[in-house]
Amino acid sequence: MIPLRYNARSLVRRRTTTIAAALGMALVVFVLAASLMLSSGIKKTLTQSGRPNVAIVLRKGSDAELASGVEKAHVALVSAREEVARDGSGAPLSVGEVVVVITQEKIDGNGISNLSIRGVPENVYAFRPTVKVTEGRPARPGTDEVVVGKRARGRFKGVDLNKAFELKKNLPVQVVGVFEDDGSSYESEVWGDLETVRRGFGREDGVSSVRVQLTSPEKMDAFKTAIEGDKQLQLEVFPETTYFEKMSEGTSAFVNGLGITIAVFFSIGAMIGALITMYASVAQRRKEIGTLRALGFSRSSILFSFLMESLMLAVAGGVLGVLAALGLGFVKFSMMNFASWAEVTFSFNPTPEILVFAVVFGGIMGVIGGFFPAVRAARVPPIAAMRGA
Amino acid sequence: MSTAASSAHASAGITVRDVTKVFYRGKEPLTVLDKLNLEVTPGQFVALMGPSGSGKSTLLNLIAGLDRPSQGSVQVGQSSVSNMADSELAKWRSQNVGFIFQTYNLMPVLTALENVELPLLLTKLSGAERKKRAQTALRVVGLEDRSTHYPRQLSGGQEQRVAIARAIVNDPSLIVADEPTGDLDRQSADDILTLLTKLNTDFGKTIVMVTHDPAAAERANVTRRLNKGQLS
Repeated sequence: MIPLRYNARSLVRRRTTTIAAALGMALVVFVLAASLMLSSGIKKTLTQSGRPNVAIVLRKGSDAELASGVEKAHVALVSAREEVARDGSGAPLSVGEVVVVITQEKIDGNGISNLSIRGVPENVYAFRPTVKVTEGRPARPGTDEVVVGKRARGRFKGVDLNKAFELKKNLPVQVVGVFEDDGSSYESEVWGDLETVRRGFGREDGVSSVRVQLTSPEKMDAFKTAIEGDKQLQLEVFPETTYFEKMSEGTSAFVNGLGITIAVFFSIGAMIGALITMYASVAQRRKEIGTLRALGFSRSSILFSFLMESLMLAVAGGVLGVLAALGLGFVKFSMMNFASWAEVTFSFNPTPEILVFAVVFGGIMGVIGGFFPAVRAARVPPIAAMRGA
Repeated sequence: MSTAASSAHASAGITVRDVTKVFYRGKEPLTVLDKLNLEVTPGQFVALMGPSGSGKSTLLNLIAGLDRPSQGSVQVGQSSVSNMADSELAKWRSQNVGFIFQTYNLMPVLTALENVELPLLLTKLSGAERKKRAQTALRVVGLEDRSTHYPRQLSGGQEQRVAIARAIVNDPSLIVADEPTGDLDRQSADDILTLLTKLNTDFGKTIVMVTHDPAAAERANVTRRLNKGQLS
């Protein structure tokens, strides 16, 4: 076998063309890894707040909280079920919330965008113990005070600590705190008092959704059967984990599809780049290849050697692309969640699987792009070693 | 490389019989060698001379198994070179022929030692044994201290000596040299010719050398002249 150091050093020797081709590969791998990381980030953000023992109750036929409405009287009925856990005082662990979307001017001057407002009851922090007010203080019940999620903060005009904005015309609210929830999608929301939001948006007769914490995840089926079986209620029950997964599906699939489509188109360009680089390399090294053939190296060992060289080129580009994509770990990305129609801020989520897949994809591109030049190299006759041949 | 006393390969005799080589320029045939016959006895040092286009390099290529005759046969030692398949021929070359080129043909990205080691990569020798043999070959050509140098760090004469080390490292029975002194100054050329003579006399190698240089031809046992595809 021709030693791999021959190929590695040949790439270094032609560093200008090598770098140009490797950068092409790096770009493709970067785009692919970035889109997969974003898709994974979206899934992570939207699904991580789901708990297996929490059920979300929506109006039958509603896909999301935004389109759902549950009557006030039904909130009490749902919460009273025996499968629902209770706190120390015997009160059911449940929250009825109103979710609305408002349009708000963005602070960076890039027009307006949708902002999700959640009207929450007093016991919301007890119900969601992972949510912590990290700056300022919680909003007082029954007031026009709100708290904003860490990722929504500072993105819209007035949506920042100690500032004020209007939920709707003539309904100003004061931001008194900032909350965090391990990067979940709640962090892209504004939480206000349930009654204030209800009044402001004409939802006095009910809530968007009811969440209940069950005594155990195993009670989910019994609770679902009981609620959905009551034809008068016309309600539907989802485990919170399933609900969030469903919510993330559309956006995640869109980003995935877009990213992979762009990567595939780019990869054609990168493969042509590798093809041209390797063809040029084979043409320049005709005498070298002829000499190797004269010394007794077979066609197949020349073919393998040049495929390896192309693979090295692609993997080098791939590693570069993945490193660049890793840099995106520090970037926050906001986009519309198609299920809630609100802007949600996501992070790029690099997982080992994504990084390895992206490099392998680059490697495959290299082998495909390098195949025909390698075949040409293998066809160089040994007589090419001689002068004038 | 083995020493002369323990040379693994016997010297090869060469029999070229009624060899014709025709090249095509478009559809037009060009006969470069015309029913040529040549006999080289084992251990002989033969110089092939002649004007450009006389067919001497073509003849060398046929003897070395780099090309096949259009008609006729080439026998080297016990092997009928002209009848071998491509892969068979590659294997035969790796075991029986050492090549010396006018432009040295070293791999620019490999060190002197790595260049010399190349033909041994086709054997089953261990890495350590390959290295040892490559160092021995470099010692024979007087370049042991240049083993880690790249071709660009060597003079033309030194590059050609590395090429000779590569040619002998497999202990082949036949060495073919194509204008081995063509790119060298007189002093370096003389050193190379002395080395070739030594390989012939001390190590018993059969050598076929194409040259334009009368001084080079003088070192050979026999000089054969080609003209228009015929030996004179």
